[in-house]
Amino acid sequence: MPAGTRNGEIRIVGVTKRFGDMAAVRDLTLTIPDKAYCCLLGPSGCGKTTILRMIAGHESPTTGEIRIGGEPVVGLSPVQRGTAMMFQSYALFPHRSVLDNVAFSLKLRGASKAERHRQARELLAKVRMERFADRLPAQLSGGQQQRVALARALITNPRVLLLDEPLSALDEYLRLRMRGELRRVQKELGITFIHVTHTQLEAIAVADLVVVMAQGAIEQAASAQEIFTAPRTAYVARFMGGQNVLSGTVERVADGHAIVVDEHGVSFSTAANGEEPVRGSRLVGSIRRDRISVSKAQGCATASGKVNSLLGEVHAIEYQGSYVKLTIERPSGEGFVANIIDEDFFRDPLDIGDSVLARWSARDVLILEGAADAGEASMDEAGGVLI
Amino acid sequence: MKALPRLASWIQVAPVALILVLFFGLPMLVVVAVSFFDYGQGRLYPTFIFDNYLEIFSSSVTLRLYLSSLKFALIVWAVTLFIGFNIAYFLVFHVRTLLWQIGLFLLCTVPFWTSNIIRMISWIPFLGRNGIFNQTFMGFGIVSQPMDFLLFSDFAVVVAYVHLFTLFMVVPIFNSMARIDRSLIEAAYDAGAGRWRILTEIVLPLSKTGIALGSIFVITLVMGDFFVVKVMSGGQSASVVSALSNEIAAIQYPPAAANAMILVAIVTLMVSGILRLVDIRRELTG
Amino acid sequence: MRHAAAGPRPWTFYVFASFFALFVLFLYGPMTVIYILSFQGPTGGLTFPMTGFSLRWFHALVAAERVGDIGGSFSRSIVLAVIVAVLTVVLSVTAGLGFRRRFPGSGVVFYLAIASLIMPGLFVGLGIAVGFQLLGLDIDWYTSALGAQLTWTLPYGLLIMFAVLGRFNRAYEEAATDLGATPWQRLREVVLPILLPGIIGVALFGFTLSYDEFPRTVLTAGTRNTLPLEVWAMTTNVTSPALFAVGTVTTIVSFIAIGVALISIAVIQRRRTRSSGEPI
Repeated sequence: MPAGTRNGEIRIVGVTKRFGDMAAVRDLTLTIPDKAYCCLLGPSGCGKTTILRMIAGHESPTTGEIRIGGEPVVGLSPVQRGTAMMFQSYALFPHRSVLDNVAFSLKLRGASKAERHRQARELLAKVRMERFADRLPAQLSGGQQQRVALARALITNPRVLLLDEPLSALDEYLRLRMRGELRRVQKELGITFIHVTHTQLEAIAVADLVVVMAQGAIEQAASAQEIFTAPRTAYVARFMGGQNVLSGTVERVADGHAIVVDEHGVSFSTAANGEEPVRGSRLVGSIRRDRISVSKAQGCATASGKVNSLLGEVHAIEYQGSYVKLTIERPSGEGFVANIIDEDFFRDPLDIGDSVLARWSARDVLILEGAADAGEASMDEAGGVLI
Repeated sequence: MKALPRLASWIQVAPVALILVLFFGLPMLVVVAVSFFDYGQGRLYPTFIFDNYLEIFSSSVTLRLYLSSLKFALIVWAVTLFIGFNIAYFLVFHVRTLLWQIGLFLLCTVPFWTSNIIRMISWIPFLGRNGIFNQTFMGFGIVSQPMDFLLFSDFAVVVAYVHLFTLFMVVPIFNSMARIDRSLIEAAYDAGAGRWRILTEIVLPLSKTGIALGSIFVITLVMGDFFVVKVMSGGQSASVVSALSNEIAAIQYPPAAANAMILVAIVTLMVSGILRLVDIRRELTG
Repeated sequence: MRHAAAGPRPWTFYVFASFFALFVLFLYGPMTVIYILSFQGPTGGLTFPMTGFSLRWFHALVAAERVGDIGGSFSRSIVLAVIVAVLTVVLSVTAGLGFRRRFPGSGVVFYLAIASLIMPGLFVGLGIAVGFQLLGLDIDWYTSALGAQLTWTLPYGLLIMFAVLGRFNRAYEEAATDLGATPWQRLREVVLPILLPGIIGVALFGFTLSYDEFPRTVLTAGTRNTLPLEVWAMTTNVTSPALFAVGTVTTIVSFIAIGVALISIAVIQRRRTRSSGEPI
């Protein structure tokens, strides 16, 4: 650990990583503030783990620069950078006891047995695993192994902790519990955490900074709230799952609103703030799932064509506890999802096959950048399960 | 910077490579060279003549020896395949706990860790005129005279080969069978297939690699053997390599070398024939 | 690879089980006969009946009366086997680690090893013997025979290492690096200890393959025999149960080696196995 500086700010500048012909990371630039909890979020293959490993020092960028606390670190070993990593499989040494696992890095530096065991026990106490000090990793459950892996990484006193899908191997219940643990530890220690995950809910639950990635590039890097309520692109909107994506061409502009119509006649309007939208240009927008009201359609023809509404058949109904997830089939094939508060739904429940009218307000329509079909392919995996 | 890991690999592999070249590669080249030498009165004359090969090809003894070796190879192959397959099948599909599987597997394997020669000669008190077999059979009145054919005969040779080499069939087949995804079998069972159908349609095709590997081992071992056939046949039967070892004993290295080369060529043909049927590389490099 | 304990066994189970039992009998029967006969009475012959129970034939080995140089060849075999085991372990483990990367020439070395495995040992021995002769060197048990035996044990060692390293999770090494280990520390503290069962297996192969080796050694051992060579000579010369006594003694040595290896591996694996029974 470099003497003096405990700054855990990370600057990634123009980093590209190639494996053979394939670029896992493309010209990526990102700044992660010191002491932040940052989540790298995206589907498998988006490059998030590669970035993590480059920050850790287990991979080197093909081009580009990485700075931690202001110092360039490319070429330095993990220990020299002041980083420590928690592996997805935990990688606890099977031939050593829990205590020896945690004390491992101290042993490498030549610390005496008494001293390194003392420090290790302290750290085990912090993660509430001191009872298991003499057990072997094989005798621990997944959640216990994870806490030991955490302790082992923290004993090196890093300024940045890197977590590679730390919760993926746990079952749902443990996952929810450990989430809070990680957040608590990070706040206590006051160091930078970088947490790689493919679970949207997890990311927005723990992170100060959420970085949504796709195909080696950053789609959006912002606070959890901004990512959810104001996605920048159709990809982020679809991936996070809280929105429906709409697109079309601008038909006309009226009262400061642009009326956008797609090829199936579905139209939405949005406030043209600042720039005057050009007639004939394509616009992509999104509307939050929980800002939609749904009612049975009285007479099919009446409402079709009206702005900020959509007529369709109920395709799926999923009860999610405090809300009901209603999927309406669109002419384009993509589902249109409305999250209805349970009270409202059960007052007059709908059935699969019912003709319904979905309506929303122009105020709630967001304009997105980029292509309308971005993220469509990943929709199946992303799913979008939000509370 | 990229060359460094490769250099490290070279350094790590170098000692093994060196020994294999010095004590296998070069000696084999020596054998090739010697097969073209002339010889006489216990001395070698380094030249280049085809005489050794011509003599072998023109001699009728050669054909007889090869037929004899091939006969043994084929019989032993068939017997070890039958036994090996059934043993492997039992261990993989009928034994229920991992502990029993490992235990029984070890039980079969341990004898193969002891000396081949000792195991071979252990058959002599068994099969001889006054041996256990004969004494038991005569004791029960099954035969009235000691059976001579049991020892110092082709029968004894085959028995010894099977005793020594069945493991080489069991292990690869066991390996192949163990890798078969159980859900395949369960799906077949669900669809109504009986045990026999499952055996022929699923287990057998998926064990092909193991069978091929085992066959290669057994055939090369039998074709390359010289002491089993010598001892157990009492000198009556011959194999290519036992005749070869006689030539070596008589310090007639060139014809021995030539015989060796021809045998290697023929066995290589047999092995590539088997390999053509099945892809082994995947099996070995796992 | 475990069945759920599911109901009664089909009738075919009993057929297979009997077949298996017969096979085991077939494997162990003759050996057991030899063990029993090695305790043959002083006046007894090579087959039953047993005229008594004595250790006379074991004494014969030690006293070397008309049975050849058993003591000498025995110690040479043990020494050679230990040397071969050590060399096989060191070289196979190192080479196995080297093979983890792709490097030009890896295919050549691999196929050379496989060829060495399949080639009849007699031919390899012939090549070495004649080669030494042409070079004017003496063949001896600790030079030419050692080299010959290594061509037999190293391929086995390599194959075992391939299998073991293939299952080895590289995350362990990365974790070690992450915590500050130098490559040497990584090897000593993480890789080798975790691979220990496999390494013991290689040592076992090296020892037993060498100790029992015959075809490669027969032409390359020179004037001083190893035990298998001595036994071979005995099959033609000796007509007493002393031969069986040799068999018993040599088998005991093999069993001790196997026992030590298997027990160590079992102990190590037991400590590292998850409660579900899956090894790490």
